[in-house]
Amino acid sequence: MDFELDDEIVAFAREVEEFLDAHHDPDVFDVTRENMAQIVDTPARRAFLKKLAERGWLGMTWPREWGGQERPGVYEYVLNEALAHRGGPQTGKGVGIIGKTILAHGSERLKREFLPKILAAEIEFAVGYSEPEAGSDAASMRLRAVRDGDGWRLDGQKVWTTSAHFADWYWVGARTNPDSKHHGITLFLVPMDHPGITVKPIWTMGGAPMGAERTNEVYLDDVWVSDDYVVGEVDKGFQYISQALDLERFSMFTFGPIDERLETLVEHVRTATVDGVPVREDSGTRRRLARLVTEAEVARLLGLRVLDASMRSERDGGAPPTTEASEYKLYATQFSQRLADASMDLGGPGTQLRVGTGSAPMRGRAESTYRYTVIDTIGGGTSQVQRNIISRRRLGLPRSF
Amino acid sequence: METQLNADQVAVRDMVRRICADAAPLDRVRALEDDPVGYDPELRKALAEAGILGMAVPERFGGSALTWTEMAVVHAELGRALAPGPWFASSVLAARLLARTATTDVQRAWLPGIADGSRLVVPAWLEPGGSARATGIALRGEKVPGGYRLSGLKRHVPCASSADRLLVLFGTDAGTAIALVDPAGPGVDLEQAFSLASDTQYDVRLDDVHVADDDLVGRPGEGWSHWSATLGEALAPLAAYAVGGAERALELTVDYARTREQFGKPLGAFQALAHELADCATEVSGAELIAYRAADALDRGAPEAGRLAAMAKLYACETFRHVTRSGEQIFGGVGFTLEFDIQLYFRRAKQLELSWWSPPELEDRIADDLLTA
Repeated sequence: MDFELDDEIVAFAREVEEFLDAHHDPDVFDVTRENMAQIVDTPARRAFLKKLAERGWLGMTWPREWGGQERPGVYEYVLNEALAHRGGPQTGKGVGIIGKTILAHGSERLKREFLPKILAAEIEFAVGYSEPEAGSDAASMRLRAVRDGDGWRLDGQKVWTTSAHFADWYWVGARTNPDSKHHGITLFLVPMDHPGITVKPIWTMGGAPMGAERTNEVYLDDVWVSDDYVVGEVDKGFQYISQALDLERFSMFTFGPIDERLETLVEHVRTATVDGVPVREDSGTRRRLARLVTEAEVARLLGLRVLDASMRSERDGGAPPTTEASEYKLYATQFSQRLADASMDLGGPGTQLRVGTGSAPMRGRAESTYRYTVIDTIGGGTSQVQRNIISRRRLGLPRSF
Repeated sequence: METQLNADQVAVRDMVRRICADAAPLDRVRALEDDPVGYDPELRKALAEAGILGMAVPERFGGSALTWTEMAVVHAELGRALAPGPWFASSVLAARLLARTATTDVQRAWLPGIADGSRLVVPAWLEPGGSARATGIALRGEKVPGGYRLSGLKRHVPCASSADRLLVLFGTDAGTAIALVDPAGPGVDLEQAFSLASDTQYDVRLDDVHVADDDLVGRPGEGWSHWSATLGEALAPLAAYAVGGAERALELTVDYARTREQFGKPLGAFQALAHELADCATEVSGAELIAYRAADALDRGAPEAGRLAAMAKLYACETFRHVTRSGEQIFGGVGFTLEFDIQLYFRRAKQLELSWWSPPELEDRIADDLLTA
């Protein structure tokens, strides 16, 4: 057992911190965007991602053949955690689930067209799995793809496509075989500016001011897609999606923001006074805080275990970690809600004031994290879906749903 | 980074697991409940021969001086088996305390015996007031020429009747001191107390017991800081003990949930139960990681090791309690009967959570470390 990063990784982490210090920009790094800080939705954020690309920090784990460096996954982990801790954009879906799926299953043509653009940060993707009738039951998606010439005609609706309004390409699952639920879905790549695609905003309770952050509904109306833009094999989309979800569970829910929020709370408790008495002397506050730092360390370690297991599977060619990722996702996201709740309680009545209010404890962060962390236990597979995975795959219990 | 045991650690694990399977199966655990001695000579012999009883004893005193991580591995197995005996108290706490602060003569007199299984030394710390702090030490040592005279009452002293010496914490004008006391000596009265976990523990009454200056462990006034530092580190293997117990209790419960049928299907096919078990499994993973993280930090001499050990004990014991509580619920009525094994784990989990610093005490220590840093 050894929980420390190797010296060269520590050196890399230092290099990342120096780089981020040198490129500090409040338009790029904004912890008050909470969960939405990870997306690359503004020109400033795109420009920053290009700087990461120039530095050679995109696709570090990719094969050399496709411009990568074949570094172990810990490099991406260190970079993404450092970005997340500062409220910066993540290296993203391109080098992550999409690039890795293309590398594993995509045609030569898709690789040649997309991989170089991903590494150069010239392309942003939106992901379309969920539908109004396919939430947790992702395999029940019914957006239709009907064979038409050398391609497919797509019709239907997606929902919760958070990046739809700024992405260049749509990574979308569609029903190609109505007779097989799990072996009847195909993944397609579609340009977002296709005239048959309509994006409608759904305003969420996230954001500062509240409601400033959105997600989207996406309507596909008679959208023809050439066979060239089918990802991998027809009808195998759900298998690709499932594999990628294990990765997403881990990479979408970085520990960095939890750590940053905890630091904010600890700093508050360290420095605040009520009725002239330091808050840090209050025994109830101390005990709750002690539990929070304990559970935060547990969450961090569960994350390190996913990282370690995934590097081991890369090395030995085994399956990527599934239950480890589910345990991390389940624990870390529930913890982030407990932390938000505790931050409001421990900060007192002033924490009800909206984020950005200068006079509010922790400048209103408790309020915005309280709103945002609601979605943590839902997106990327709900807590209940994670428990299904753990109880079946780790504990060997029968299917219970 | 390596979040699983390495080959050497697996070898230690397998060895201790084998010893416990041979010398501490659950029928012996049952037989030794409320026993006045509290351990099986066969287990003691096997643990001594394997170098386990000398795990915290320096090699120059015949010990095996295991790393904290290896001690955690050992304790995870003792916890899985619920192996009865004062092994943590004698071979970790007493051994570390003596190694830390006793004179060479005292070390030479006691450490080799702790390691080879011929001697038991256990701490006598708590008192009826229930305080876990230095201020709770009401047992007084009156200075007399050449030593002290001790009077007072100690509680929760493990296996006192078979111990060769007690490490008694007592108050002096200079502050807390620690002395070796022979529990069979004059003025020492032992009364067995019966506990939730059915472990073997005694009330120890000292009435004008003479201890010589040579029997002191460390200087008067420094006793509390030595004791507190010793226990603070030992929380890491203790956390691993809870992890081992929690892991085994989860296995027992999952096995039952797979086979016991109601409404025409296995219990585990009911989501209410499956999800509870998934939560337990996740917590057991977390507890294992934080216990080994604390042990690894101690091995590295990291400044955060003390805080991590307290966090590990807090979290692992809470997990042990939660898993066994859920286990009782899933076993249903039979879990309440003495015939089933889950109750053995259930009772020990809560007692362990309360012992060697309870949750409020640990929380306070963690907060101290965090907020005064």
